[in-house]
Amino acid sequence: MWKPPGERQDTPRRRGEPGTRAASSRRRRAGPRGTQIAVSFAPMIDMTFLLLIFFLVTTTFERAEGILASQFPRDAGAPAVALPLSPIVVRLRQNGPEHGDFDIAVDHFGNTPRDFAELTDVIHRIHDEPGFDRETPVVIVTDDEVRWDHVVACWNAALRADCARIAFAEP
Amino acid sequence: MGANLTPTIDVIFTLTIFFMLVTRFNSAEQVPMELPKPDDSRARVVSLPQRVVINCRAESAVDAAPTPVLYSIGPNRPEPLAVISDRLAALKQQAPGLKVVVRADRRIHYRHVRAVMRVIAGHNIEMLNVVAHVSEEEE
Repeated sequence: MWKPPGERQDTPRRRGEPGTRAASSRRRRAGPRGTQIAVSFAPMIDMTFLLLIFFLVTTTFERAEGILASQFPRDAGAPAVALPLSPIVVRLRQNGPEHGDFDIAVDHFGNTPRDFAELTDVIHRIHDEPGFDRETPVVIVTDDEVRWDHVVACWNAALRADCARIAFAEP
Repeated sequence: MGANLTPTIDVIFTLTIFFMLVTRFNSAEQVPMELPKPDDSRARVVSLPQRVVINCRAESAVDAAPTPVLYSIGPNRPEPLAVISDRLAALKQQAPGLKVVVRADRRIHYRHVRAVMRVIAGHNIEMLNVVAHVSEEEE
């Protein structure tokens, strides 16, 4: 509550009396024998600078790596699953010298998807056919000259179509 | 007249906390290379115990074919596939449940990776684990 100046001086407090700011400040800074204790922030700021410089120098912004799991080519080792008579065979054929010169074909179904997104749709449609489901093995047959990037994209397309069994075979 | 360092220190603290949160330390076995980046990748970040990483990287950064391929186990120097096969056999003897992860450059041809697959399968390892970039949602 506001008081006129005259009334404020009714309860004077001298510097250092209990309850004043000077007294609390003295409690904070004075040790048992009256020695001055001061908290130095300099080492903490030094450490922070060092950490900052370390992270600035070492950080590289890259996408994380993950793992795709599959089975080995049938003729390279013992397959983990017995393949039925009619697996879904996906072929990748190189048809030119350039990076993107390749065809995708699905055997026995007459499908030639233009890209890997369409391949996912084609496999989904095959799963809807009688006798096929997501447990039907998908066998990827790839020409030697196809880039690894496309092979992994094909593999990923089969995984996007919820295929549970994906294997490789020799061309 | 003294400079007020409080905003500077605030910014430095903020930057430090940001970098501490976003930094992910790569393993030494992750040799720098261009990994496959499939659309809507189904690759998952998993930790495989008892694993060995075989790196297959293009010797030249030029995209022209044919590109010589260098094979190495983890961070070791490049070696012929026959030597890698011997090392793999020794590792398989020590740890029968050994998992093999293939990190291959996206630009190399399939035949280079297939050669590695044959080596791995020759040691009765059935599963093939291949590294690709994960999707942005997974990150």
